[in-house]
Amino acid sequence: MRYDSIIIGGGLAGLTSAIRCAEAGLKTAVISFGESSLTFASGAIDILGYHSDGSVVQSPFPAVAKLAESNPNHPYSKVGVDTLKQGLHRFCHHLDVAGVPMASQSEDNHWRTTALGSLRPAWLYQPGMMPLPIKQPAKGIQRIAIVNIAGFRDFQPSLAVAGLKQHPAFQQARITSKTITARELGLETRNPFELRSIELARALNHADNFQRLTNALGGAAGSSDLLIIPAVLEDSLGRSRIPELSQKIGCQIMEVASLPPSLPGLRIANALKRQFNKLGGMLIEGDLVEKGNFDNGRLVSIETHYNKDLPLYANHFVLASGSFFSKGLLSKQNRIIEPTFDLDVEAPSDRSLWASGKFLDSKAHHFIEYGVSCNQQLQPTRQGLPIENMYCVGSVLAGFNPVAEGSAGGVSIATGFHAAEQIIAAYQACAGN
Amino acid sequence: MLPNKLLLHIKPAPVIKMLSLTDTTFDNCIKCTVCTTRCPVAEARPDYPGPKQAGPDGERFRIKSPGLYDDALKYCTNCKRCEVACPSNVHIGTIIQKAKARHDGFKQGPREFMLSHTDLMGTLSSTTAPIVNVVTAMKPVKKLLDKTLGVDERRTLPKYTFQTFRKWFGKHAGNQERFDRKITYFHGCYTNYNVPAVGKDLVAVLNAINIGVRLTAKEKCCGVPLIANGFLKKARKNADLNMTQFAKSLDAGSEAVISSSSSCAMTLRDEYPDMLDVDNSAFKDQIQFVSRFLIKEFASGNKPEMKPLNLKVAYHSPCHLIRMGGVVHTVELMREIPGLELTLLDQNCCGLSGTYGFKKENYDTSQKIANKMLEQIKTTEADYIITDCESCKMQVEMNTDHKVLHPVTLIAMALV
Ligand SMILES: Cc1cc2nc3c(=O)[nH]c(=O)nc-3n(C[C@H](O)[C@H](O)[C@H](O)COP(=O)(O)OP(=O)(O)OC[C@H]3O[C@@H](n4cnc5c(N)ncnc54)[C@H](O)[C@@H]3O)c2cc1C
Ligand code: SF4
Ligand code: SF4
Repeated sequence: MRYDSIIIGGGLAGLTSAIRCAEAGLKTAVISFGESSLTFASGAIDILGYHSDGSVVQSPFPAVAKLAESNPNHPYSKVGVDTLKQGLHRFCHHLDVAGVPMASQSEDNHWRTTALGSLRPAWLYQPGMMPLPIKQPAKGIQRIAIVNIAGFRDFQPSLAVAGLKQHPAFQQARITSKTITARELGLETRNPFELRSIELARALNHADNFQRLTNALGGAAGSSDLLIIPAVLEDSLGRSRIPELSQKIGCQIMEVASLPPSLPGLRIANALKRQFNKLGGMLIEGDLVEKGNFDNGRLVSIETHYNKDLPLYANHFVLASGSFFSKGLLSKQNRIIEPTFDLDVEAPSDRSLWASGKFLDSKAHHFIEYGVSCNQQLQPTRQGLPIENMYCVGSVLAGFNPVAEGSAGGVSIATGFHAAEQIIAAYQACAGN
Repeated sequence: MLPNKLLLHIKPAPVIKMLSLTDTTFDNCIKCTVCTTRCPVAEARPDYPGPKQAGPDGERFRIKSPGLYDDALKYCTNCKRCEVACPSNVHIGTIIQKAKARHDGFKQGPREFMLSHTDLMGTLSSTTAPIVNVVTAMKPVKKLLDKTLGVDERRTLPKYTFQTFRKWFGKHAGNQERFDRKITYFHGCYTNYNVPAVGKDLVAVLNAINIGVRLTAKEKCCGVPLIANGFLKKARKNADLNMTQFAKSLDAGSEAVISSSSSCAMTLRDEYPDMLDVDNSAFKDQIQFVSRFLIKEFASGNKPEMKPLNLKVAYHSPCHLIRMGGVVHTVELMREIPGLELTLLDQNCCGLSGTYGFKKENYDTSQKIANKMLEQIKTTEADYIITDCESCKMQVEMNTDHKVLHPVTLIAMALV
């Protein structure tokens, strides 16, 4: 079986690459073992949230442009700010078409609120997430009610209250937490202590239940300026119902992503898959790429768990297998490896340098920066030799710290898009000859 | 939760003789709940706890105390969509089926017997097929089946063929020995008793690439409906017989055992060892779904001459083929047909799931699950819907005006 391009890993980075390739008319396949880390993600897209000194980035694009001087090995420095912008533009277009529109506050970052009540800088948000301005996040907000549904354990309003109160801007605000009982909502739940976001979304989608929720939230809102609820509402196509709810109650409502499954993250994953399918792409889920066949500096074909004797050939490959969490990287005794192809990895062999002593360090651990080392074109090496028809994208890459920088989403989209553009350019060059 | 060390000291629930009815992959679970987001049954009925709770979470409790078994597990269709989504390789569907068997979670009345013993029912029905087909299509009979057995009267019951595939093949078997290369065809119940055309098309396509077809001397139902209804001992007996037959035919020079039903193929290859403890490791790789076998042949240059088929078709991917990683093979196979305009439908479950949707108590769930797929098909402008699974075919044909074909039939139509 032969493809123009094969993408290994179907997370944000891999699907961005795949959609771009399919859009350009290339015969494209994505092979992905299990759902990606978008299940854990907020559903907002961060680009660059913090400078290297820890200060907050107000406007990400100029800051990304500047990185090239201070940190030439950063993936952003390799792909450039124009590619980042183009990639984001296409990303928004596809999500829009798939029914999950994303928005930004012009060129500036905003604060997104986490389930723990902390604020993180991000650039794109989904309707219902309610971005807070970087300079004065609490402007116009005096009274906040944080509301949960009893039995939903993946969100703890008291933690959110405590977290938000720690932020200097919210010190004057009155923040309370409330709980709506499942009975108030008329939910016939089998096990009222084990509710999950997806189950609530399904149950609350029924017109009667939605009306009861509207009434109950209206009561809980009282005279609040802002109501914060966990992301447990969406229609059957995965579209947020917060704007509708907000209008009915007459109060600003903000949804925050809960512990997994994070519905806002899944909305993005599903929307991207729908688009890829619509463009004629081949999505192979639940199969694992186990081996690559290399020849003369090229990856010729790959073997998967279900296709050991039937290799998949492609002219170009994109490795988007994620970081440690997705097993795109593995840690061994004194070595960090890329397990699928054994590509060269950038990481010190002294294990004591990998992490700082404290588990919950306010600074991110170093191991997050480790990954596959690549050249300016994002091409990796294997035993020191470059692989010319392969590109690495997303969190499998070395040279950036998504946690400390607040850059995971932007790097995934920019590098995914960049790899696809290079593959497309190679095809156009061929056609030109 | 108890640490693993402690779990070792707890006596497990009684197990059926010879069969191991626990699957330990529940230990891999990282509690992400991704599986539950993909479960069509959990989406359709809120009283089903969903794969995470019914599978790995519940298993921990059930091992501790069988009293904690949840009767709602009976709603699981074993579609295995949860397993495809799981990032941690938990065999959720298998855990649930085994738990049902361990805790007598299966209802096994005359209806379950009739629905699951497909080969027996096929033998009985095909000899009197013209009568059976007329009778089972009659309203009063359907009402009677509904009232007495609980087979939903709104279902179109499968039609039986008068001449079984085996009978037809008997007349053509000699012809097959002239080919140097041979494969063994596991036709399954549906091709044998209901739609022999798929089997005939398969013979035509394989012959066109110079491969002869053999059947085993004896063939029993793969066991998928038996497993789904908890007749595990019977399923295992069938599995043992089939495996012996496969071993014989592979010994006698067949290159592979091929199935044209995605659910049979998955059962022979994966469920025999995982669910029934039947060791097929000696020739697991030789048990293949037909499109996988064909695309491999095509890829190595053994491709029939094909004329353009100027048709628009839309492909529906069956759950069990998705689980086997086989959708890519069928899609690539169809892409080999010149002139064919192919669109891929979204990967939604058809909801019939073999015998599941025939049961009165599951009718509404089944139709509710089917809705997404049916809505898309109704607005699709296609000459044919293509799918590899007989259950999906029945569901589409009962609910829409579209005719459904097997991918192998499409290839057969393109042969010159
Ligand atoms: C806990 C957590 C919270 C996060 N929160 C946010 C957030 O708030 N905002 C934000 O923008 N980003 C967030 N992210 C990060 C973001 O989700 C990822 O950075 C982004 O999705 C990029 O990931 P990726 O595409 O590189 O890889 P992943 O999303 O990790 O996907 C990799 C995929 O590749 C598959 N794979 C790996 N190896 C193979 C193989 N050999 N064969 C087949 N498939 C394979 C994996 O199964 C997986 O599905 C978070 C990530 C995590 C883990
Ligand atoms: S096998 Fe299918 S029905 Fe059963 S739990 Fe998994 S997804 Fe749900
Ligand atoms: S998807 Fe897998 S790991 Fe996640 S909760 Fe379900 S069984 Fe556990």
